[in-house]
Amino acid sequence: MLLGVPMNNIPVRIRVRYSKVGNLRFIGHLDTQRLFERALRRSGLPLRYTQGFKKHIRLNLASALPLGFISTAELLDFWLGEPIEEQEIWQRLQSALPLEIRINDLKQVENVLPSLQASLLSSEYKITLPKLVTSEQFQQKLEQLLAQPGIPISRRDKTIDYKPLILGYSISTEESVVNLRLSSTPTGNARPDDLLQLLGIDPANCMIERVGLNF
Amino acid sequence: MPNNNISLIEKILYSVEKPGRYVGGEHNQIVKDWEAVDVRWCLVFPDVYDIGQANLGLAILYQILNAEETILAERSFAPWVDMEVEMRRHQIPLFSLESKQNLKDFDILGITLPYESIYTNVLNILDLAGIPQLSSERTQGDPLILGGGQACYNPEPMADFFDAFAIGEGEEVSLEITHAYRDWKISGKSRNELLLDLAQIPGVYVPSIYDVTYNPDGTIAGVLPNQPDVPEKISKRIVASLPTHPSKFLVPNVEIVHDRMSVEIMRGCTRGCRFCHAGMVNRPVRQRSVEEILPVIENGLNATGFEEVSLLSLSSSDHTEILELTQKVHEIFHDRNLSFSLPSLRIESFSIDLMDELKELKPGGGFTLAPEAATERMRAVINKPLNDEDFYQTVSKIFENGWRSLKLYYMIGLPTETMEDVDAILQAGIKVQQIGRRIIGKSVKVHLGIASLIPKPHTPFQWLAVQRPETIQEKLDNLKAGTRKAGIKMSYNIPESTLLESWLSRGDRRLGAVIKRAWENGAKFDAWGERDNLQIWRNAFESQNLDPDYYAFRERSLNEVLPWDHIDIGVRKSFLKRDYEWSLQERTREDCRNTCFACGILDAFVDQRPPETICYWGCP
Repeated sequence: MLLGVPMNNIPVRIRVRYSKVGNLRFIGHLDTQRLFERALRRSGLPLRYTQGFKKHIRLNLASALPLGFISTAELLDFWLGEPIEEQEIWQRLQSALPLEIRINDLKQVENVLPSLQASLLSSEYKITLPKLVTSEQFQQKLEQLLAQPGIPISRRDKTIDYKPLILGYSISTEESVVNLRLSSTPTGNARPDDLLQLLGIDPANCMIERVGLNF
Repeated sequence: MPNNNISLIEKILYSVEKPGRYVGGEHNQIVKDWEAVDVRWCLVFPDVYDIGQANLGLAILYQILNAEETILAERSFAPWVDMEVEMRRHQIPLFSLESKQNLKDFDILGITLPYESIYTNVLNILDLAGIPQLSSERTQGDPLILGGGQACYNPEPMADFFDAFAIGEGEEVSLEITHAYRDWKISGKSRNELLLDLAQIPGVYVPSIYDVTYNPDGTIAGVLPNQPDVPEKISKRIVASLPTHPSKFLVPNVEIVHDRMSVEIMRGCTRGCRFCHAGMVNRPVRQRSVEEILPVIENGLNATGFEEVSLLSLSSSDHTEILELTQKVHEIFHDRNLSFSLPSLRIESFSIDLMDELKELKPGGGFTLAPEAATERMRAVINKPLNDEDFYQTVSKIFENGWRSLKLYYMIGLPTETMEDVDAILQAGIKVQQIGRRIIGKSVKVHLGIASLIPKPHTPFQWLAVQRPETIQEKLDNLKAGTRKAGIKMSYNIPESTLLESWLSRGDRRLGAVIKRAWENGAKFDAWGERDNLQIWRNAFESQNLDPDYYAFRERSLNEVLPWDHIDIGVRKSFLKRDYEWSLQERTREDCRNTCFACGILDAFVDQRPPETICYWGCP
């Protein structure tokens, strides 16, 4: 006879939207994941773990944020073993996190939803250009680039065409600020720093901020 | 103090590997108001962050110093090669992780010397900080350069570069030094007077007020103070009872080695293995009680979120309450998805009982034992006595209890060693493999870890010559051929890679000039195999008319003044001498918590011994 899973053992899926700023922009994806695992342990919340010999906290980050970028729009799912008031989860997790990670939103979501990575389509970036580059110059360069039949970028051993991955751009009313929308799917993931490099702008001289994830 | 570093540092971080090493900001980091304290320490670990951050000594001093309202302590590490290039290009001086202040602006740089291969990194760090490397060249406004750590029991090779060394355990003396420094700072006296004040603190060695004289044959005639009223010998410091253990550990944001919480359950070891530096210099044995350890683990886990805990000591099985400790750990923590490790277990079936307690809490699938030598005779020489029968019984029990992988550590290059002793290592590996196969019913993993002996100061082997790389290579080749045939995994160091440690660990003050020259010619990160610095070092020796072989391959006479004789570890030289003679007679000493062999440690510290209710000491 199959034993039913007791009602109180249904995992509770929590979705967090957070900012990652300051020095923490120099902490990579896997390190960020470990940072959350340890913060979650410190929070004392009743966490769900993965199965297997070495058990990990069940945790799912939407998309790797490249080293050096800040963000106000990161998303993360984790699972609890029992329901707890959202406000309490928010407060307990925030107080266990470093100051440079701030929770912007936290809510329980349906377990049946697909994973964050699987449903992510694109990312919005806000780029503050170096002092000597105006938004208009950026626009001009980008349009020249887009006029070409393809925009090949070599990454490791393969070449990808960036042209279909650049989904949109706009010039902000703020001085020297431009917005980019780039594809972020498992099969087509574009990085704004690659694109800046191609335009002859040193990404190290720009402030790159992820401001939105589109599903 | 305004800090102009930050924006420039942030800019160069975009072009280096693992920038998270340089930003600090870890959970539990302590940042104090720079202007609101009297004395500012920077604790420096002269290796990369990834290696240094896990150091327990660093965590202990960070806690102790920052606990004082009027002291701040920040951290700094050696920048990796790529970061150094960027820092030099942009003229960014070496900075602390917490407030990004220049190292030059601190009052005291506490630099730890845990091993010899980072000596050149110390010079590099001073240079990157814009601080004169030689103590004699530093002036009033420069920070006090203070050394500490396990390699400082022979401070002489680094004597030119340090203003003072804290010999022994730093918990109490670091505060005494701070207070003396504060008084001096207020007094407005000269830097030399500071050094004289410091030399009055027990355990503090100020090398510039001791002169070394040499015999015509190059050996040392004596090391004597050149000032009145300073002690001829510097006695190491100990803490009578182990102080409150830190629990608010920094939680690194980037992956480091030993990325877990370490809890020191015991300090020192009573076994007296003759090759073991730690076993001689860290006497007497002192341990923490189970009641003290459990809350440290609990509070530490709550404060850090670590998923792994290591219960540290030199010989876990010798903690008098170890079974109770492992049982309690199991009882309290078994359902929290944690793992615990218990290193340095003795070869006896009791160790397996201990590991069984932690079984569902342990990180990997393997068991590790360190017989160190494979014949009973050889084990008598090194004073790690063990019957073959007991060894194989322990091995059987390990496999019977379900482990399928066993790592065995051995040493070669031991005194009186023959090729038969070396072959016995292979034979032991093969027999273990057979035992495993018989018990498990299929093949098991056997892994031999082979190290070669580097005789260390303050041990009974301190007089020995190091065996030449050719001899070691021959022994390794023998083992390699045999293990390959038997399907046994073997790991070892290339013999040349241990030469530097052989030269420096028993070096004298003349090596200061060699170290400086090696650094000038590009030596740094000497422990990292990919940077082959050996030729630089040989040239540096030559430039000073010194022969590296003199330091490595020369057997010292028992009557010789050794470069570290003025550093008193509490264990008498006459004891070490006798123990060396016993070694050659294959005569062993049992665990000295049962029988006192009068090594001297108890005489040295008997006044400090607390009642057992406060802290258990291993001495009878």
